[in-house]
Amino acid sequence: MSSLSSARLRRSIALHLFLTPLALIWLFPLWMMVIFSTMPDNGIFSPGIELLPHGNFVDNFNNLQRDTNFVGAIGISVSVAVTYTFLSVLLTSMAGWALARYQFFGKGVVVGIIFGTITLPYAVVLIPQFIMVARDFQLANTWVALIVPPLFNSLGVLFMRQSFSMMPDDLFDAARVEGVKEWRIFLFVALPLARPMLAALAIILFLASWNNYLWPLLINSQPGSMTAPVALGTLIGLTKVSWGGIMAGAVMLTVPMLIVFVLLQRHFIAGIAAGAVK
Amino acid sequence: MATVTLSNVVKRFGAFEVVHGANIDIKDGEFVVFVGPSGCGKSTLLRMIAGLEDISGGEIAIGGKLVNDVEPADRGIAMVFQSYALYPHMSVEQNLSFGLRMTGNPKADTDRRVKRAAEILRISELMDRRPKKLSGGQRQRIAIGRAIVREPQVFLFDEPLSNLDAELRVQMRVEISRLHKELGATMIYVTHDQTEAMTLADRIVVLRAGHIEQIGRPLDLYDDPDNLFVAGFVGSPKMNFIKAQIVGRDAHGVVVELAGQEKTRITQPLAGAAPEAGSKVIVGVRPEHFGSAGEGDTDLVVAIDVVEHLGGTSFLYARTAHGEDVVIQRDAAKVPTTSEVTVSIRKSYLFDEKGLRLR
Amino acid sequence: MRNRNATAYRFLAPYLLIFSVFWVWPIISSFMISFQATRTVPWRFAPGFNWGRLIGDPAFFNALKNTLLILVIQVPVMIALAMVMAVLLNSPLLKARGLYRFAFFAPVVVGEVAYSAVFRLMFSLDFGIVNKLLNSIGLPKIDWFSNVTPAMALIMIAVTWRWAGYNAIILLAGMQSIPEDVYEAATLDRVSKLKQFFHITLPLLKPVIVFCLVLSIIGTMQLFTEPFLITERGGPGGGTETLGLLLYRQGFRSLNFGYASAVAYTMAALAIAITLVQLWLTREKQ
Repeated sequence: MSSLSSARLRRSIALHLFLTPLALIWLFPLWMMVIFSTMPDNGIFSPGIELLPHGNFVDNFNNLQRDTNFVGAIGISVSVAVTYTFLSVLLTSMAGWALARYQFFGKGVVVGIIFGTITLPYAVVLIPQFIMVARDFQLANTWVALIVPPLFNSLGVLFMRQSFSMMPDDLFDAARVEGVKEWRIFLFVALPLARPMLAALAIILFLASWNNYLWPLLINSQPGSMTAPVALGTLIGLTKVSWGGIMAGAVMLTVPMLIVFVLLQRHFIAGIAAGAVK
Repeated sequence: MATVTLSNVVKRFGAFEVVHGANIDIKDGEFVVFVGPSGCGKSTLLRMIAGLEDISGGEIAIGGKLVNDVEPADRGIAMVFQSYALYPHMSVEQNLSFGLRMTGNPKADTDRRVKRAAEILRISELMDRRPKKLSGGQRQRIAIGRAIVREPQVFLFDEPLSNLDAELRVQMRVEISRLHKELGATMIYVTHDQTEAMTLADRIVVLRAGHIEQIGRPLDLYDDPDNLFVAGFVGSPKMNFIKAQIVGRDAHGVVVELAGQEKTRITQPLAGAAPEAGSKVIVGVRPEHFGSAGEGDTDLVVAIDVVEHLGGTSFLYARTAHGEDVVIQRDAAKVPTTSEVTVSIRKSYLFDEKGLRLR
Repeated sequence: MRNRNATAYRFLAPYLLIFSVFWVWPIISSFMISFQATRTVPWRFAPGFNWGRLIGDPAFFNALKNTLLILVIQVPVMIALAMVMAVLLNSPLLKARGLYRFAFFAPVVVGEVAYSAVFRLMFSLDFGIVNKLLNSIGLPKIDWFSNVTPAMALIMIAVTWRWAGYNAIILLAGMQSIPEDVYEAATLDRVSKLKQFFHITLPLLKPVIVFCLVLSIIGTMQLFTEPFLITERGGPGGGTETLGLLLYRQGFRSLNFGYASAVAYTMAALAIAITLVQLWLTREKQ
């Protein structure tokens, strides 16, 4: 059937011909980010078109470090993101477990409220959260302020609720009959079975925490307590700053996440798709 | 004493009552089967005994102790689920020991129990495997093993053989029987298959739509059913039901005429009061209780539709002159070749219009 | 299932605690604050102080206009583009699918700050790569930052770049959950691929598309980082100031908490209203 396969070939070529430039355009900003991070400042601001890497990354990095203690900020970002991810996964899976597996008084109300808050924009709670944390609790520029408020995460709870309710009832009944206490059932039977979902959730949460800009900007604005995105952001508006350095910072912020993404593409996409196609 | 007593046990889901006042007395070491069609409430009853469902009314006592509010783990029971409910991420050995490990049982004792269960069920070589690498029959045994390990007073089985193929089911039935003899424990077994009930049970509880229709030994249910439902449920192929009406009484008992056939009359000895003449009744005849012409009480002419040969026995699917379907059992050698045959009714049961047995 | 009140609440407790403190209370508090005059201490109850100001404030309407402009132009374009990406990614003829998926999805992984910085460099008037490329094919350089229209366009380009891939993945997942036999039956009936797309794929994808639209609407209403970092806090004369930016300026630069709360609630109300309208428009017609 040569006519069928040559039609397929033509369609395939057309497909790739269209998609490839689009993909290249899409990758372009990331590419430029890497390129800029390796160019000296006068190279960035030169009239010519440069599309290939140079060798100035280390210089740029040093500039960055001089302008703002970026390494320190990265350290803060890492510790915050790791702690946040761990706590958030724990809390949302516990909540999702309760909603999925138990009947209890007030269940409908709790589910309703959690569902309801998905539609409410973050903007509404931002100001009171700020007032509460900065003024009432006196926790501005602390580690706690970065971790605790964003722990609230309804999509995560609903995702875990979905995951747990798909597990067979008999499994947990069998454990109950064997005398296993509820929290042990959760820890030793439910969580191990939910490993892929937990992985997807963890990745998404880690990314959200790593990239979070607005809240850390507001609450941790002192130089010693800034997260990496905030630190980088302070440089962007300045006039006398090394843009090569800024780009080096951008690369340091992004490339690790991109690598994680490539390695764990499946889990990432599973997490996002699952939230949507329910 | 591992007795189980249900007194007026009721189960409601919201306003909807699914079990209406069940009264069952299970003796120590008995093998009792709850049997009935889907939705009759047998699984619900079992789960209430286990403690996996709340009891809406009535009382359940295990070993003489009231257990209405007692957690499943403290009732001295163990349960085997239809889906086996094995922990997929653990090995067989870990599956068997999970409950004991989680409740702080001393390691030496746990090991002893696991070993014993493995020996009884002959699964000792499978200890390191994961459930997904096991066959259905093997998984079934692990599920039973988990129950044995608990050394319970009462074993509860929730349709354990439903997921197995026919041949395996027969095998496992024998194994469960053997297990009962070996352990001597009280066992409550739920199934919708009346063959399993008949072969395994010391006594059977027949349920329909939340009501207990009859409790009794298998042969008692077979030979002396209390009502139409039990008569039709127990025994395969089903008992034949032929419409009839009472025409009078004579010295031997009440005389019943099969509908539309004045010449076919059966005399049924009746100890109690008979309904008046003219009332409609139902005559029940098991396929094996039809004899050749002249052998029994009365003769019936039937037209044969289909003959099923099963080897040693054959079944004739026929119709009476009145248009009712009957199934007749015959030895393979004695299958008539004609399209019509005259049979006699050697033994029959009488039921009133509401389905109650007239004795 | 047995009722297990105590156990359930023990599992829920940590989460509910955070939830109540950091979400439920702020929602109520925000509403209350919007009715208070917060420029003087102590705050006093003055219902008209903020809301009255809101109704007549040109800055508010400017921000509203900008935000709605982005909503009306950027969101549909992005969703359409995401649909194209999803369809192409779904094609069985595609080789190295992972590579293309990576290309379109990677922007989501990149942080807002990082990519805002890159875009600023790329679109810089004299040294930006975009203007250099435009020049090289004979087009004049565009001043992306000092003029309102190019500045808005820049924001829209940036946001589209960032989120199209994300929506494409969601649409793709939706597409892949449509069973093959539906298409096979249509092909046997000689329905063209194009018609199949419009008459089978699109209708079946409606809930997913609606989901993406809702997410985009809520996100656009709150748009902050891009206008803040790319166009230098609101662009030329506030030309790209969005509602999100206004909120930030009033709430955290001028510390007008009351007024900012009013703005926040307006944003929320608008987002919900638009979402409801959209849901109603795309509801299943019986």
